[in-house]
Amino acid sequence: MNKKNLKHILSIMVDNEPGVLARVVGLFSGRGYNIESLSVSEVDSHKFLSRITVVTSGTKIIVDQIKAQLAKLIPVHNLVDITELKSFIGKELILIKLDVKNKKTFDLKKKLERLSAKILEENDLEIIVQFTGSPNEVKKMESILQPYKIIEQTRSGLVSMATGTDYIKK
Amino acid sequence: MKKITGAEIVIQTLIEEKVDVIFGYPGGAVLPIYDELFKQKKIRHILVRHEQAAVHAAEGYARSTGRVGVVLVTSGPGATNTVTGLADAMMDSVPLVCISGQVPTHMIGNDAFQEADIVGITRPCTKHNYLVKDVNILPNVIHSAFFIAKNGRPGPVLVDIPKDIQTFKAVYKGKKNTKVISYYKPNLKPNINQIDQFIKLLEKSEKPIFYVGGGVINSGEVASKNLFKLIKSTGFPCTQTLMGLGAYPTSDNQCVGMLGMHGTYEANMSMYNCDLMICVGARFDDRITGKVSGFSPKSKKVHFDIDASSFNKSVNVDLTVQGDLARILQAINKKIEEKKISFKKAKIKDWWIQINKWRSKDCLKFKNSDKIIKPQHALKRLDFLTKKYNPFITTEVGQHQMWAAQFLTFNKPKHWMTSGGLGTMGYGLPAAMGVQIAHPNSLVIDVAGEASILMNIQEMSTIKQFRLPVKIFILNNHYMGMVRQWQELLHGNRLSESYMDSLPDFVKLAESFGATGLRTEKPSEIDDLIKEMINVKGPVICDVIVDPSENCFPMIPSGSTHNQMLLGPNDKVEGEISEDGMVLV
Repeated sequence: MNKKNLKHILSIMVDNEPGVLARVVGLFSGRGYNIESLSVSEVDSHKFLSRITVVTSGTKIIVDQIKAQLAKLIPVHNLVDITELKSFIGKELILIKLDVKNKKTFDLKKKLERLSAKILEENDLEIIVQFTGSPNEVKKMESILQPYKIIEQTRSGLVSMATGTDYIKK
Repeated sequence: MKKITGAEIVIQTLIEEKVDVIFGYPGGAVLPIYDELFKQKKIRHILVRHEQAAVHAAEGYARSTGRVGVVLVTSGPGATNTVTGLADAMMDSVPLVCISGQVPTHMIGNDAFQEADIVGITRPCTKHNYLVKDVNILPNVIHSAFFIAKNGRPGPVLVDIPKDIQTFKAVYKGKKNTKVISYYKPNLKPNINQIDQFIKLLEKSEKPIFYVGGGVINSGEVASKNLFKLIKSTGFPCTQTLMGLGAYPTSDNQCVGMLGMHGTYEANMSMYNCDLMICVGARFDDRITGKVSGFSPKSKKVHFDIDASSFNKSVNVDLTVQGDLARILQAINKKIEEKKISFKKAKIKDWWIQINKWRSKDCLKFKNSDKIIKPQHALKRLDFLTKKYNPFITTEVGQHQMWAAQFLTFNKPKHWMTSGGLGTMGYGLPAAMGVQIAHPNSLVIDVAGEASILMNIQEMSTIKQFRLPVKIFILNNHYMGMVRQWQELLHGNRLSESYMDSLPDFVKLAESFGATGLRTEKPSEIDDLIKEMINVKGPVICDVIVDPSENCFPMIPSGSTHNQMLLGPNDKVEGEISEDGMVLV
């Protein structure tokens, strides 16, 4: 059980100061840990705090070590392993630009509507689709759109929070 | 309130931090700070001859006093030269504050003259670092740097100050009125439930061992005292790591010597066969554990440390207690007294009989000679003849370092300064300077090899300038001895580049720096040489020509376990050293 590689979502509250992301990322690369997804943004502009969400994987021992090493970084105020909490939400955002030149888009648009994807841009040449969902839903969306001609696509890292108390402030 | 320049703030904050000495080297980007240094009398500046040496000297100062060592260097090459020293301090948890100059803020990122992204470069080898871009936060940053360096697990902190910030003005309200980082609060207080659990293990054990590391020394003298009390009240054996030597008196009968790759047979066998391992401020380093999968297979393991990231890093333990070791050990002693637990000698009698059997192998014995000086013999005589002076010992890195650890006595903490984690050749001489500056009237000896000593030999000039009576005891075997030993053992005796050709005449070298040079190759002269070294008032280089073929034993070969030690040159590795073992360093 403990030998199994499991995915962990870590939510880290840090000082929003230059170099803080380099410290976190450098810790992962320097010690040979994995980053599967990363997202970071300021969440408190008064206290200058940013929240970093890292998806990593490893055995329990490795992940415990990652957490202990992260907690040691001076600009890290707090961190929570969201995957260890009872219930949590994790979402990603994807933008996909589809080539629709000389194509009928009626079916496509209906399908997108059914999947609650948003069309952000539409003209004779292209459609830009925005979709938000769990990593699996995003993957599914990608495969649904595969038959269409994808010009480009971009995807955010995972953002996540647990239900109930604000564990990270606690 | 009156505004003062950034450079003045630097000096004022250092004075408030009770800094009395700085090790440094000036340059373009720190001239304003050097100018302020010139105008005051409270802080002494020691001008080194290379910035790496400034950091090692500050390490020697810090490790022999328990205070924060301070370094001041310029931008670019001045700063990059400190990297090895900072990495060394990081690995061995030495509290340092290194202040570096930087090109002015508007030039940063322009590849300006003597510009280096030192904050980027030193991020992984400092506990924390700062680039100060606003003179108003400079007091906060410097006081925070000291706080971070010495609290929790100690380590080096770098503060990079652009030249324009040094000239801009701001108000400094003194340390009391300056906010330091408030959320960095390392947990010092141990969890009492865990102490109770530990006491239960302690009472049950029949084959216990204390495994003591440098954390005890870092925690301070109270930790050493508490540890002594605990070990005495239990009657248990104790082994120390290279960093832990002196945390518990090594000449005490309950001490079974250093453990690990070149540790004693009895220490390693006790670790392998124990039923309870009590790790006090050590970190299960690969030099200690040998092959991890075969490390002490039958024991319950308990780990006390201030740094939670040390727990379960390489070895899985059964119980961890996080906190300051002085407090943890005090809490344990208190519990033992409260519960009136008495440890019966009978319970661990068989264990001691077994340990004494291992001891009787006399694993540190060597064949002495009256024709050629054996390095072990030279150190035994050094120990015997200097013991009464309670000397401070520093070392370089290699065979001489391991022999020094094996053959010298360390009965007090903070008297042994060696580069354990990083293994930095060239550490010993500058470290000895730092120790001597902190303890001007003490005997300070750098046990060196002829290869290592040349890595920071320029510091002879610093030694001359500041009249530091440092004694350098070179065990000269004309080889990078440890490299040669491994080449003999693992690479078919092909001695690739490990012979030290074209060595200087160390006697003349000493004399050229106004020091005394002594040389001998005769075993009959070694005592006189050591006595003269002690009697000479100033610095001395002793060039002791030793047996070039001697190797350091006992030894756990790469990829082996504690019970597979080689006790001497005639012991052969059982079978071939595995490929897994070959790749280990």
